[in-house]
Amino acid sequence: MKVVCNGKELELGTRPTVSQLLDELGLRAPYALVELNGEPVERERYAETALQEGDTVVVARPVAGG
Amino acid sequence: MQDPLVIAGREFRSRLITGTGKYPSLEVMRGAVVASRCELVTVAVRRINLDDVGEAITDWLPEGVMLLPNTAGCRTAEEAVRVARLARAGGLPDWIKLEVIPDPRYLLPDGEETLRAAVELVGEGFTVLPYVFPDPVLQRKLEAAGCATVMPLAAPIGSGRGLRLRHAIEILVEQAEVPVIVDAGLGAPSQAAECMELGADGVLVNTAIGLAGDPIAMASAFAQAVEAGRAAYLAGIIEESETARPSSPITGLVTS
Repeated sequence: MKVVCNGKELELGTRPTVSQLLDELGLRAPYALVELNGEPVERERYAETALQEGDTVVVARPVAGG
Repeated sequence: MQDPLVIAGREFRSRLITGTGKYPSLEVMRGAVVASRCELVTVAVRRINLDDVGEAITDWLPEGVMLLPNTAGCRTAEEAVRVARLARAGGLPDWIKLEVIPDPRYLLPDGEETLRAAVELVGEGFTVLPYVFPDPVLQRKLEAAGCATVMPLAAPIGSGRGLRLRHAIEILVEQAEVPVIVDAGLGAPSQAAECMELGADGVLVNTAIGLAGDPIAMASAFAQAVEAGRAAYLAGIIEESETARPSSPITGLVTS
């Protein structure tokens, strides 16, 4: 199953969730910020939020800034 | 707590807020945050580079320091609201340093878009700290909209030019109903002290510390300057005089 994450096409397993995507990317949940098809996803819902074929995901996080 | 900075009901011992950008390394950033004794630090929000995830800044920040996400890079109210919603949903605090900046040369904020975003975000329950040009009329509108602070620039971001907009900031301080935090443009600790002496509630410093020869030592210097400036403001600074006023008695002169 393919999704577009941060502009890059990713091949994921069957019935992936946001949590599984973050694991695949090597990101721990605290402060991994996720937008799914333009809508922010609540951190508490990462484990239950399923990704669908063709979804557009943005994964962001806090970085150094002023 | 003696003379705390109070923002939206939350007390901070330090009146210095620091940014986390421009340091030579995350290790030096951490040392500078500790040396600054600040309790609130700004962070930006960016997409992760999938090819190089790198280190998380949050792993390097000292315990007990509160994160203040910003909307740097946003050019419209819609972009800023989107970033704020993303940050909060992902577990960052519901405080947002609101920056809406369409101008890349001087990085001056768009007051109209900032106000529009502030109204939306306050309505959604955010604690909003807007970065603004020191415009007393805009200040009143942002206060009426429910912003927790007003954060005027002293000079363009990163310029190190100091308190160039002093007279306008004095008006903001004089009529303020929420804390005035001078943000951007300070280059030296003396300039931070000057902000505090005129009655600003706090200052936010990033470039002047991060790019200093010794950022950790400079963070400590800014901390001392902010404390000294605040103490001087509370102590009551004398009025200026056009002419000299002798400090020694003018009667009983030995030579009279």
